[in-house]
Amino acid sequence: MIEKGKISGMQMGFMMYPTVVSTAILMVPSVTEKYAHNDLWISTLLASLVGFISMYIAYQLHRLYPNQTVIQYSVHIIPRLAGKVLGLLFLFFYLHSTGAVVREYADFISDAFLPQTPMIFIASSLLLLSAFSVRYGVESVARSAFIFTIIFAFPVIFLLLLIPDLTPGNILPVMEHGILPSLRGAIVPQSWFSEFFMISFFLPFLSDIRKGRKWGLISVFAAMISLTTINLTILLLFGDRVSGMSYPVLNAFRYIRMGVFFENFEAIIMAIWILGNFVKVSVFYYSASLGLAQWLNLKDIKPVVLPLGILIIIFAYWSLPSFQDVTYYLTGTFAYYGPLMQTIIPACLLSIAFVRRKRPSSS
Amino acid sequence: MKHKALIVGRIAALLGILQMLCGCWDRTEINDMALVTAAAIDKDERDGIELSLQVFMPRALGSNSGGSQGGGGQKLTLVRSSRGQNIADAVSKIQTKLPRKVFWGHCKVFVLGEEFARKGVREEMDFLARHPQPRERAYMFVSKGKAIETLNLLPPLERYSADMMRKLSELKIGLKVTMKDFIIMLGGDSKAAALPMLDILPPEEGEQPSQGVPYIAGTAVFKEDKLIGDITLQTTRGVLWLTKKMEKATITVRPKDAKSGFITINPNHHVIHQTPRIVNGKWQVLLSIQTSGDLVQNGTNWDPMNLDLLHAMEAAVQDSIKDKIELALDEVQKTMKADILGFAEDFHRSYPRQWGRVKNRWDEVYPTIQVKTDIHVNIRRPGLSTVPVAIPEDEVKKK
Repeated sequence: MIEKGKISGMQMGFMMYPTVVSTAILMVPSVTEKYAHNDLWISTLLASLVGFISMYIAYQLHRLYPNQTVIQYSVHIIPRLAGKVLGLLFLFFYLHSTGAVVREYADFISDAFLPQTPMIFIASSLLLLSAFSVRYGVESVARSAFIFTIIFAFPVIFLLLLIPDLTPGNILPVMEHGILPSLRGAIVPQSWFSEFFMISFFLPFLSDIRKGRKWGLISVFAAMISLTTINLTILLLFGDRVSGMSYPVLNAFRYIRMGVFFENFEAIIMAIWILGNFVKVSVFYYSASLGLAQWLNLKDIKPVVLPLGILIIIFAYWSLPSFQDVTYYLTGTFAYYGPLMQTIIPACLLSIAFVRRKRPSSS
Repeated sequence: MKHKALIVGRIAALLGILQMLCGCWDRTEINDMALVTAAAIDKDERDGIELSLQVFMPRALGSNSGGSQGGGGQKLTLVRSSRGQNIADAVSKIQTKLPRKVFWGHCKVFVLGEEFARKGVREEMDFLARHPQPRERAYMFVSKGKAIETLNLLPPLERYSADMMRKLSELKIGLKVTMKDFIIMLGGDSKAAALPMLDILPPEEGEQPSQGVPYIAGTAVFKEDKLIGDITLQTTRGVLWLTKKMEKATITVRPKDAKSGFITINPNHHVIHQTPRIVNGKWQVLLSIQTSGDLVQNGTNWDPMNLDLLHAMEAAVQDSIKDKIELALDEVQKTMKADILGFAEDFHRSYPRQWGRVKNRWDEVYPTIQVKTDIHVNIRRPGLSTVPVAIPEDEVKKK
């Protein structure tokens, strides 16, 4: 075993929550509003279904092949060479996604807060920090995630301060054009929810697998509630203008004001938000590193961490040259690419594995 | 030896990491920033706009704090203006006249000049929504005459005129509209918007011209993104009732049967429901108002402890509210035909299908909408005096 650490189910749940929510809160409200208009909160509810499915698939695969990640068991489920190729695809996918996440993060920070700072410093400082965490294995990633997620979830409470400014009427008319717009709006957020398949990389290190399932469900549920709450708050605050905003969540937090003096505190909230992003990047980064080490049959994860980090930075620059491209990638490409890799292919693996289990090979 | 090298290496790495904490490129010192407290946009004689910024002078605050403070009227701000094709262009030109970097984060007030607003505001609103610094919570105004004049004032009670305008907005005498609200209104179904209208109270004789004070004189009405007219403060009260924004009111009326004198009540608790209905193909809005408050002045000889007389007083107040609403409807709905009452949104929400059919000819439908009012006023308490004060008891009308 490459990884000797053990984590608890709760730690895994705490890791997965910001992995989905931290970047989703930036992009999801405006993208879903574009298609679903004022039904955008239904979209996130529908999208969470994919989260439950992906998590279920990862869990069932784990039951069939305990102590193995997707990179390892794909070799056992389908022929060895094909399994290796699939493993490579997964590695590429996670490498590429990590690059995109870093890019989203860096774009947002330089757009809203540090316009002069070269983006490479924003991206590489976060990645370097994650690299340290990843090098020390799953336990350090999980423990930092545990602490940071608690802090990260805190600003959602601040949204309550917006209640006096909300217009409940904005929610009407519900489903003016039927459920179709909500479904179309759900296409983008479901790609975020498909990321719950990543528990496949962490289930083998759980000390108690049953808690893993429980906390996995809690995590999907919490992500669903958070995204729906945020979508709803933003809808009630800004009405139809949401889709025209680059980062509606930033605008919403900027709008918070208590009394006449307690205002302008979005900078603190965004500093907290960086913690969530750190967790997200380390979870992705760890999955990619562990996967590569397993794919190459290495004994240790450490030699691959830093080289992968450099590749991730390059991916962040190669794949997405501008904010418009990031949005296009997330709404056009990733909406299909993410679920394909994390829901559909694993579902195929699972069905093949089931069939092979039912009919033990006659040899 | 190896051990030592390791320690040195670690210290070097730590120092290296420390470098990342300072964020060197975007370092901004507070004394390198020109804090904008208010901005005014006027029409330029040529094609572009004239932007004026009221900039806070921290030094003035520091030198005053030692001695007598309460006075006000000392200049804490300076005003700089420049012409340009648009705001961004004008800001860059103002920047050449300021040694510090313009910072919008504290700008709480935007004043649009009347002339400029007539020309259309969309292009400049884009800057305010796109630039990361201006706040959505900033208050918007339209000024009678040139907007820059409101920035040049030194109101005696507040530290600078922006502060005064902000407080005026928060008192909610007229409309209170933030940048967010304004942008939403402009882009909404009704394609109309309203902003509070500022005017300047001229200074007393013998005072500096800058000692006038801005006050809210009514409401500016926008259709599409252009100013088409304004309504008085009286009419604005009707608009506030119609849009459920009424908070504090003072209503003075003469009851119909009273021989002389006025009564005044302060309704301070309102329950307003505005229900759009389509009855037999006719579009209606049912406005139900329930309001209650205290009697604050009674100039008639009526005894408010008598329930019949009390109800007569209430009826008089109801009529007064109804008059205001009708005044507002008459001007805004029938004359200006601008949907600042938000009827379009209401119908869209309650009757999405029917709304979809008239969406494109809303301009024709809107003036034909009937507004039915149902007003209930309760005078809950007579104040500290039960009978009319300072008239002989036998002249008090008790029933």
